[in-house]
Amino acid sequence: MAGRSYKTEAVVLRSFRLGEADRVLHLYTLERGRVGAVAKGIRRTKSRFGARLEPLSHVAMMLHQGSGELQTVTGVDLLHSHRAAREDSYRLGAGLVGLEAMLRLYSEQEANSRAFLALTRFLELLDELPSRAPARPALDPLALSFQLKLLWLSGYLPHMASCADCGAAGPLAGYSPKAGGAVCTACSAGAIPLSPQGVAGIGELLRRPLAEASDAALGDRASREALSVIVTSYEYHGGFRLRTLSAG
Amino acid sequence: MFSPSVENLVAQLTRLPGVGTRTAQRLAFHLLRVPSEEAAALAAAIGEVKERVRFCRECGNLTEQEVCEICRDARRDHAVVCVVEQPVDLISVERTHEYRGLYHVLGGALSPLDGVEPSHLRIDELFRRVEQNGVEEVVLATNPNMTGEATAAYLADRLRGRVRVTRLASGLPVGGDLEYADEVTLGRALAGRREM
Repeated sequence: MAGRSYKTEAVVLRSFRLGEADRVLHLYTLERGRVGAVAKGIRRTKSRFGARLEPLSHVAMMLHQGSGELQTVTGVDLLHSHRAAREDSYRLGAGLVGLEAMLRLYSEQEANSRAFLALTRFLELLDELPSRAPARPALDPLALSFQLKLLWLSGYLPHMASCADCGAAGPLAGYSPKAGGAVCTACSAGAIPLSPQGVAGIGELLRRPLAEASDAALGDRASREALSVIVTSYEYHGGFRLRTLSAG
Repeated sequence: MFSPSVENLVAQLTRLPGVGTRTAQRLAFHLLRVPSEEAAALAAAIGEVKERVRFCRECGNLTEQEVCEICRDARRDHAVVCVVEQPVDLISVERTHEYRGLYHVLGGALSPLDGVEPSHLRIDELFRRVEQNGVEEVVLATNPNMTGEATAAYLADRLRGRVRVTRLASGLPVGGDLEYADEVTLGRALAGRREM
């Protein structure tokens, strides 16, 4: 059966070598969500696609859907290379956390325009992200905020306003993924502990748009607790851990 | 369809990079047609290379001795070390005839998404060479893609101040036309333009 071609915006999440000079791309597309595609010959220096299809690139591309699982890239226009994010190790570290979160949370070929918009906005902000090195990029407010928003869009929004177990107004002392959010002292058995600053910080990151993530003014402890909430949510709801969060 | 031994040969050949079933069958039938000595010579060459070739103790290049020919060459500049990802990249740099220093083969590039961390590469060995062997310049020649650039940035951050660190220039291929250049490569060529 003959395949068909279509045009879509996409972000390159990951790529790996295939054969002599090809690459397999993991894409997040506006039209179809997660798509796998082969870009033929892009590792050759004469390829015009190679530089446009690096991870983090936001592109408009023509894809051909054949009978196989992987589609084929037949044309690429670069919308944003996000070179600034790729060439700074702190920004790249934060960017890779975002890309891996997309890879793990959105593995199905199913369009989600809000997730795509959040991803492209995250990448735009990443280009201008000031370095907080030697702090870990995984603790950057932008990376934390983006992941909390992805959890929200995936239906795993942590409830932070009151105890997710008994409904008590507070004081909130922990996070329980089983209960779906913050829990009070009485319900905190088995929950990961949260300080008042951590509860407030996570609430701020959820409330504010991505562009204002750094205005949430999270301290070091609150940042680490926000990361713990994210990691625990991944493990409980998705059964996975992000490699980029365990790296230095 | 074929005898078990032919089936086995096809299966083994299919495991080679870039070889599909049809190519493997063509190669298998070619080997069946050639004289026995020719097929035996190929088998012996594979056995010999697996038995004799190892990684150079100094640079990680492929060699049949403890230390490779390049590292042993006294005429080369031992104060300059060019860092590449794989031995095949070393051959590409050698083909230019422009470089007379030594090499250091990392064995890959950093890739947090794939779980490749500094401890998986020959990075500590590079730092040790820089400390102990009087190296004055490290040329970073990792691939100009995301993992290669990330590796170069990681190494540059840790070597800066201890030794001169340089990176291969990025730009237009010689003999090409400007109108066919992609915008990323052309942009980098502009950013790295030099005075004439």
